Amino acid sequence: MTATDERGQRVQGEAIETEPKHRVVVGLLLTAGVAVALGAALLGLPRGRQQLSEVARYAMQSSLPSWHLTEPVNEVVYGSRGFDTFGETFLLLAAVVSVVLLSRPREPRSGYFGEDIAGRREQAEIDPAEAPDSGEREARRAESAESDEESESSDDPDSDADTSAAQKKVAVEHRPKTPDNELVGGRGPEQAEAMSIIIRGAVRTATPILAVTGCYLVAWGYSPGGGFPGGAVILGVVLLVYAGFGRKRVARVVQPKLIETIEMAGAALIILTEAFGLFLKGSFSANWLPLTPPQTIRSGGIVQLFSGGELVEVGTGLIIAVFALLAMSHDWARDKSEDEPDNAEESDANENEPAAQTANAAGGEDQ
Amino acid sequence: MIVANYLVAGFVFCAGLYTVLTRRNLIKIVMGLSLMEGSTYLLFISMAYREGSTAPVLVSPPGGRNAHDLVRGNVADPVLQNFCLTAIVIGVAVTAVFLTIVVRIAQHYRTLDADKIRELRG
Repeated sequence: MTATDERGQRVQGEAIETEPKHRVVVGLLLTAGVAVALGAALLGLPRGRQQLSEVARYAMQSSLPSWHLTEPVNEVVYGSRGFDTFGETFLLLAAVVSVVLLSRPREPRSGYFGEDIAGRREQAEIDPAEAPDSGEREARRAESAESDEESESSDDPDSDADTSAAQKKVAVEHRPKTPDNELVGGRGPEQAEAMSIIIRGAVRTATPILAVTGCYLVAWGYSPGGGFPGGAVILGVVLLVYAGFGRKRVARVVQPKLIETIEMAGAALIILTEAFGLFLKGSFSANWLPLTPPQTIRSGGIVQLFSGGELVEVGTGLIIAVFALLAMSHDWARDKSEDEPDNAEESDANENEPAAQTANAAGGEDQ
Repeated sequence: MIVANYLVAGFVFCAGLYTVLTRRNLIKIVMGLSLMEGSTYLLFISMAYREGSTAPVLVSPPGGRNAHDLVRGNVADPVLQNFCLTAIVIGVAVTAVFLTIVVRIAQHYRTLDADKIRELRG
C-alpha cells in the first residue's frame, strides 16, 4: 500500500508508480477460472460454416417483400424484433434520466454549464479542519475562472446578462477567444476557449458533411441500425463544435429545456408509432403505414418512422448524458476555502447569486 | 480463423474482469467493465461471420450474385449484428450512469480509491 494521504501532496508522484490493488491472488484465480471456462465454451462455438438461424433467414426473406427494406438488419431491429428495440429505447431513456438525476445540482437549473455550489454546510460539519493542498487550490482557481466566464455567458440572454457581463469583463479579460495569437508550445494550460484556426476550419468543414450524411443515411434507411448510429453521429457533431469552438457556442443550443423536450418528443413518437399498430392493425408494432418502393424515404413503413424517432432519442439522450457529465460541478464537498488569501473575487462572485445560495441552504436543511 | 476472434474476445473479457476485481481506482473499474462490454461486441460480430459470405444488404450484391441468392444463403447473420447494436447502446448508457456515480463519489469522499469509500460518512 502506498502512503496515500489525502492531505499530503507528495503522494501524487508515487501513486502513479505503485498503484494500489487489492485481492490480486483471488482476482487472478477467478480470472483464470473464467478464462478456462470461456475458452472451452468459445472453442466449441461454430466457426463460420453453420446455417443461418431461423430468425435470420426469416429476416432475409421477409425484408424486401413485406417491408420493402434493402437492409435486413434494419428489418430485424425495427421490424421483427421491434419490441426488443422498444424496450431498449426506454432502457436508454432510464439511464439518461438517472444521469440527469445524479448529476443534478441542488439549485434550479438553467444550463448544463455554470451550475453553482452546494454542500458547504455538510462539509463544515464533517471535516471543518481539512486544509486544501496545492493541487486542490489550483483546481479551485481553474474552476472559479471557468464559472466566472460561465456566469457571464450562459445566463438567459433576455435577463441582465449585459450588466453582469460588464462586471465580469475584467475577470474574463485574460482568457482570449481563440489561441491564434498565442505562441505554439507555450507552457501552462491553454487559456483560450476555442481551438486554433486549423481545427476550427476542419470542424467547419466536417460537421455539415457529417450531419447531412448521418441524417440522410437514416432517412433513406441505408444505415444498418438506423437511428442508433445516426444518433451517435449527431452527438459527434455537437461534440466537435464543443471541442473546436468552446462552450459558449454550444451552450446556446444545448440547453436542458430544449434538449430534454426534444428527447421526450422522440420517446412519444416511438410510443405512438408502435401503439398505432395495436389500434389500427391489432398488434403492437404492426405496420400501419403504406409501403413505398424500396430505397425511398418511406420505404419501410413504420420501420423508418421508428428509426427516425430513435435518431432523435439516441442523439439527444447521448447529448444530455455527455453534457450532464461534463458539467457536473461540486455538490457535496466544500467548494470554497475561506482561509485562502487569494479568493477575494471568488466570494464576490458568490454574492452575486444570493437566491441560489438560500436555495442551497433550504435544500440542505431537509437532509 | 474466426476462432482467433473468439479467443481475443475471451481474453479481452478476462482482462476486464481482472481489472474489475483487483483495481481500486473507480475509473479503472469502469474501464474494466467497458472492456467486458467491448468483448461481447467482438464476440457477436465474430459469431455473425460466415465463410465466403457478404454483408446482409440487399442492394447490388458483389460477384454477380443477385438478391435472391443472398436471401437463400451466404450472408452474415443480421440478427447477431442487431444484438451487437443493442449491446453498444446499452453499454453506452450503463457506462454513463457508472461515470456519473463515480464523479459523485469522488466529490463526496474526495478519493477514487474503492477501499476508502467503505467508511460511512455524512
